Amino acid sequence: MMNKVFKYLILPCLALGLAACTDLEEDLVGDITRDISIEGIDVGGGGDASGELTAAYAELRNSGTANHSSYYSVQEVTTDEMVIAQKGGDWFDGGILIQLHRHTYTPTHDFVNNAWTGTYNAIATVNDKLGGGTLSPEENAQARALRAYFYWRLLDLYGRVKIVTQDSPDPPQASRQEVFNFVESELLGALGIPEVSASMDLSGSLLEDGGSAYIMNRYGALGILAKLYLNAEVYVGTAMYDKAEIAASFVIDSGVYQLCGEGCTVKNLGKRPKVESDPDELEGYAAVFAANNEGNPEHIFSVLYDEVSGTGMNFAMMNLHYGSQFTWNFDAQPWNGYATLEEFYNSYEDGDKRKENNFIVGPQLDFSGSAVLDFASDDDNIQLNYTPQINQLAPNSRREAGARPAKFSYKILGRAEMDNDFPIVRLGEMYLIRAEAIARQSGNWTDAEADLNVLRARAGVDEYNGNLTEEEFLAERGREMFQETSRRTDLIRFGKYNDPWWEKPASESFRNVFPIPQEQINAGTGLTQNPGY
Amino acid sequence: MKLKVDYVTKLLLLLAVLTLSNFAYAQRTITGTVTDAESGEPLIGANILVVGTSTGTITDFDGKYSLNAPEGATTLEFSYTGYAAQRVEIGSQTTIDVALSAGEVLDEVVVVGYGSQKEKEITSSVTSVDAEDFNQGPITDPAQLLQGKVAGLQVYNRGGDPNNQSRTIRLRGISTVGANTEPLVVVDGIIGASLENVDPNDIESISVLKDGSAAAIYGSRGSSGVILVTTRSGSKGAAGVQFTYNGQLGASTAFNSVPVMSRDEFLATGGTDLGSDTDWTGEVTQTGLNNVHSLAAAGGFGNTNFRVSGNYRNVDGILKNSGFEQFNGRLNFSTKAFNDKLSVDFNSSFTNRTSEFGFREGLRYAVLYNPTAPVLGADAPFSFASEQYGGFFETLGLFDSFNPVSIINQNRNDGKRTEVTYGARLQYQLTDNLQITGRIGQQNTTIDNREYYPTTSLFRGNATSPTRKGRADFYNQNTSFRLYEAYGTYLNNFGGTDLTFTAGYSYQQNNFEDNYLQMGDFPDNSEDFSNILEASQDLQNAGFIQANSNASPDERIIAFFARANLTLGGGIFLNASVRQEGSSKLGEDNRWGLFPAFGVGVDLNNYLPLNNVDQLKVRLGYGVTGSLPAENGLSQPIRQIVNGDDGSVSTELTRAANPDLKWEEKAELNLGIEFAMDRFTATLDLYNRDISDFILERTVDVAVFGVDRRIENAGKLNTQGAELTLGYDVLRNNKVNWNTGLVLSTYKTVLDEYVIPEEVRASLGAPGQNGTNMIRVAEGEEVGQIWGPVFEGVDAEGAPTFVDVNGDGQVISAQDNALDDNADFEVLGNGIPDLEFGWTNQLSIGKWSVNAFFRGALGHSLVNTFRAFYEPVIATQSSYNFVNTELRIPELTSAQFSSLYVEKADFFKLDNLTISRSFTFGGSSGVRGMTLSLTGQNLFVITNYTGTDPEPALTDYGPVDNAGDIDFSTPDVLSPGIDRRYSYFASRTITFGVKLDF
Repeated sequence: MMNKVFKYLILPCLALGLAACTDLEEDLVGDITRDISIEGIDVGGGGDASGELTAAYAELRNSGTANHSSYYSVQEVTTDEMVIAQKGGDWFDGGILIQLHRHTYTPTHDFVNNAWTGTYNAIATVNDKLGGGTLSPEENAQARALRAYFYWRLLDLYGRVKIVTQDSPDPPQASRQEVFNFVESELLGALGIPEVSASMDLSGSLLEDGGSAYIMNRYGALGILAKLYLNAEVYVGTAMYDKAEIAASFVIDSGVYQLCGEGCTVKNLGKRPKVESDPDELEGYAAVFAANNEGNPEHIFSVLYDEVSGTGMNFAMMNLHYGSQFTWNFDAQPWNGYATLEEFYNSYEDGDKRKENNFIVGPQLDFSGSAVLDFASDDDNIQLNYTPQINQLAPNSRREAGARPAKFSYKILGRAEMDNDFPIVRLGEMYLIRAEAIARQSGNWTDAEADLNVLRARAGVDEYNGNLTEEEFLAERGREMFQETSRRTDLIRFGKYNDPWWEKPASESFRNVFPIPQEQINAGTGLTQNPGY
Repeated sequence: MKLKVDYVTKLLLLLAVLTLSNFAYAQRTITGTVTDAESGEPLIGANILVVGTSTGTITDFDGKYSLNAPEGATTLEFSYTGYAAQRVEIGSQTTIDVALSAGEVLDEVVVVGYGSQKEKEITSSVTSVDAEDFNQGPITDPAQLLQGKVAGLQVYNRGGDPNNQSRTIRLRGISTVGANTEPLVVVDGIIGASLENVDPNDIESISVLKDGSAAAIYGSRGSSGVILVTTRSGSKGAAGVQFTYNGQLGASTAFNSVPVMSRDEFLATGGTDLGSDTDWTGEVTQTGLNNVHSLAAAGGFGNTNFRVSGNYRNVDGILKNSGFEQFNGRLNFSTKAFNDKLSVDFNSSFTNRTSEFGFREGLRYAVLYNPTAPVLGADAPFSFASEQYGGFFETLGLFDSFNPVSIINQNRNDGKRTEVTYGARLQYQLTDNLQITGRIGQQNTTIDNREYYPTTSLFRGNATSPTRKGRADFYNQNTSFRLYEAYGTYLNNFGGTDLTFTAGYSYQQNNFEDNYLQMGDFPDNSEDFSNILEASQDLQNAGFIQANSNASPDERIIAFFARANLTLGGGIFLNASVRQEGSSKLGEDNRWGLFPAFGVGVDLNNYLPLNNVDQLKVRLGYGVTGSLPAENGLSQPIRQIVNGDDGSVSTELTRAANPDLKWEEKAELNLGIEFAMDRFTATLDLYNRDISDFILERTVDVAVFGVDRRIENAGKLNTQGAELTLGYDVLRNNKVNWNTGLVLSTYKTVLDEYVIPEEVRASLGAPGQNGTNMIRVAEGEEVGQIWGPVFEGVDAEGAPTFVDVNGDGQVISAQDNALDDNADFEVLGNGIPDLEFGWTNQLSIGKWSVNAFFRGALGHSLVNTFRAFYEPVIATQSSYNFVNTELRIPELTSAQFSSLYVEKADFFKLDNLTISRSFTFGGSSGVRGMTLSLTGQNLFVITNYTGTDPEPALTDYGPVDNAGDIDFSTPDVLSPGIDRRYSYFASRTITFGVKLDF
């Protein structure tokens, strides 16, 4: 009846001469609603990411690898190598930064949620490509291995998560063992082997045998497997150090990668023309993390950062004091947030090249070599002067307190977005993994000395000589891997994560996995909380 | 009085019958007196018109008139504002005395959408405000005319920003979460017109359709209520062309500022001494002058009448370099043809506005800037290279600190807006019972906003950078709206039953396009490089230019509607309407919605033997409307481009599709009682409003949808409220008239259902209070809860301690724990007032009149964010100034949000006081009348709130820090009660006005 009435009512519309009397089609001219995929230009060198996987690899940057409030923050600030102290009115942020450091984080913690959504967004993008049916078999293998890496993050952070794939959009929450199995089998699948063994043959793998560090190749996938096996005892209660050793050894022995040591140099992009003491070149360890570190022989699988086309690394902003803008003449003012704990800083001996590279301490000079002044200084000294000592975590940490992370070194005239590539798998860590795996299998930490001494030699410090202990191993690993989002995982594996340090009290072992974010549980698709939260 | 009215009517009928003798005279003079029927007092300035001609006159001081009636004149019409008009046959009379009845509420006609209705027959909640009841003074926006006049209508422009950037208009509280919360404005039938383009002097009356049954006929766009503006038209048949001039000259001053420490107080706390003594608030504020001129000409000839008006306003805000200049023109024209069967109305308006938006940051940084800092670098206590900063001093190396004088003097933030509206209506009387109407309307708006920050501005100009300084922003927007409507109206009477049936079709199309460009790195400060963009070195460096553009689809609303009004026996009124509405924003299967409305009203006075009661009407209305957010593509997937460094291009999902998205629906039940007795009138409305399936973009399971954002039907809101309007003529005699009116409204909104059981939102922001969410939203609970720990005292370190609210022996006050079961958080206040009221007084003594309007709100709280950040004397912040209210606790040296910063903001203010005197001049002189007036706005405010303005903050625009931009386009309606640091200070204005009729 009503329809009939309306049929008559449409007459005046037609009388007005309107073509579109009841046309309600919506053509979204101002938005993109369909996928667009354009192949990149192959400029030689082989193995550049194809257009199909551009967005997938970009997710390594988008998932909080090197910026504030997501993956990097939860991996670093919860450990004894990094802190964000409350500086009076600044950096309190409702206490959530202190909570991270003191291990009182809760399911509603923003950063814990950001790390979750960042990682799942990355997985969704990869699934999108895997489900699109347009990938070549080689690209398909890369995508699966890349996705396995993101699931490794979830396994490490949260333990029990949903294993979403292109074929399974809404599976139930998996156990930590199931997630472990998935990561392992996907990586093995990409490598074309049934298991990691001394006799494995990777010739059947669809992944490339070396090439660009920006794409997932065989050694990248093996490196991630090595990390997985090294932590297997934590993840699933079964030690798999033998496999960790084999995987790491395979990468080292392949000869495809070299440690960046003496003679491995890059131009120092941080050199201020008028400051004589700034070196012209960066060599060895420093070169591995420099702003122009692309193509470094130690990089196996890296995140490509670029201040224009590959944004997502904000270390200069996060770490430095406002006044440090004038040291490098950045185009933006830093935020004065992250610093290193005094004890951690002091774990480096003087003369350790890594200490020199990894931190900024002391009185600061500006671009032209004059003192950087801080008119709001709270230490009676107007020159900006970073002290390793941090007077307190909260509420009134001094503004200039704390050695500032600088492993990924800063360049002059830099932007808020940085250029340094971030290694996810690098040869140096393979030595650390092999050394630890060997020692844990034998129960004798001095067995790890040979591999560690390779790294210590590069750092210019004395080699171990029958004096390596478990504690010293962890300290050495910390010195080498500082700022590479490894510390939380390492502390857990060494049983130290729950220990007290500085202003952090002892914490309970359930803290070794993060809570499932409340926002995700609220989304109502069947997630349950981790025990203890 | 009802009996009396009947008596008068009968008397008049008798008079008409007695004088029904049809002698024709060539021309003759008719004289007489027009008086008030009740008091017998003469009515001065009453209109007398020979019906069917343009001949007319007005009465003099004694109520007497003299009129030369032309040949063929048969009837005179007598009218006077506020009185029922009367027609009298001339017959053979030469003296006609007429007594007009005042306060004729019963037959007043009110515009209700696609027609008008007699007020007594309306079954829904409609409030009509006539021009004489408007707020006076320099009204920059017609919304202010209604502030406090309509029960349930909230109009808040916190602070005195002349550009209304954060004005909020709401009817009956929160009507939706994700869609437009502001009522639909209809100007002369043109839906969605902008109130800012109407000169208040051009407005004849405003009707506000409050409840669902009234607004339903307008469909989704009327879901938050409808404000119908009728502009003045030419006075039919008045003698010649009549001119009216209105002029105003006013001055505004800052009413209130944030109290901060003086130089000495600041130094006593250990503040860094920079050698000067600067009153920063004084430096950035001014006495804002404004002047307004408007001229209107109205007239008519035969069946045609017209009105043309022009309006110029120039308003300066109290913040230096903020204000606007606007020209506004309007033409209304109507005529009739074919024996009055065809009527044609045409109206058009044009607005050209140039705004200086200025920088609210000037006020913000004036509060927190070191009071010992000099304005100019030359006065610094140490050598300071001030050329780099345009000669100004800057405290370098601080977060969120900019010299406020430099901000407002060096930079520009301007905008131009041009708006053209036209509408035409054709109405044809097919038969005595059937009339058809067609309407077309169009509104086009262009906006051109520009910001410029020279190379020497630290604020957004990046003056510290050695390489990249200066910034220019450009924003252009074009919007157009087209309307086509056709409807028919059928009227008939079936034995005591009046029927009006209206049915029609409506087609609305919105189009929108904009573009934005930001670039910088200019050579130096010698030129305004926003006009020489090619000089930008950003053109040489990748990644610095920001640009985006957007265009909307053809966004359409198409509707079929029908309405029937029945009047049974003169005392029972029935209304029903239905609207089938479709929107292009929803998925194919969910586009069309059917929205009904019903209403019934009974004038009990017709049926009950009530003595001395003039009216007692009870009405009940129920209506359902749909509602959709302003965004397009609600149901579609949205992707963004990802570029590879090898030239490859790919996309990723940023918002998941939701083809199942359906109309948000608002169902409203309204019970009203209207009562009138002698000098007393009262209207009570009670309503219950259920909003179901409200639409918002929410976090979804990223694992399932591939991205964590999706637009969904997310919950249910319920609002219950009551509104009471009272009026009383305290004095009514020949010397003194005093009437007073009170409107009261209260409502409570509960979040019945929500996709999230509870959450906290509205972060306080940087420095140091990110992640400090001040508002709690929970399923089944009231909206507007300010949530936080309860301040107890100060510990030895100067940090705040908090109350163990749940008494479990431990105090859990970290923000991250805000919703934990054992957390010591509680509701610290509510951002929405319990009671809002407006109290009008109109007093006239002879030619003097006084209009005093008081306004207030009770029960709401505000988070005073200036205090929350800057009141504790934080040692590490010794280069910022400190807020210094009476609530300051000197021992506190650590900033952490708590009940300490949540203040009750009850207030009572004298919003508007106008004293005026009118002068009448003899008919022969050029000027017929003049009115002089003096108006004060915001003359006093009684409140305990220590911030600058206690008015409720109904929406939140989020935290902004370190020279970031305030985004007024995304208000958060679930987070009321936050007085942010970017509020414009409140102002007080004194205005002198002249009105001339000639």
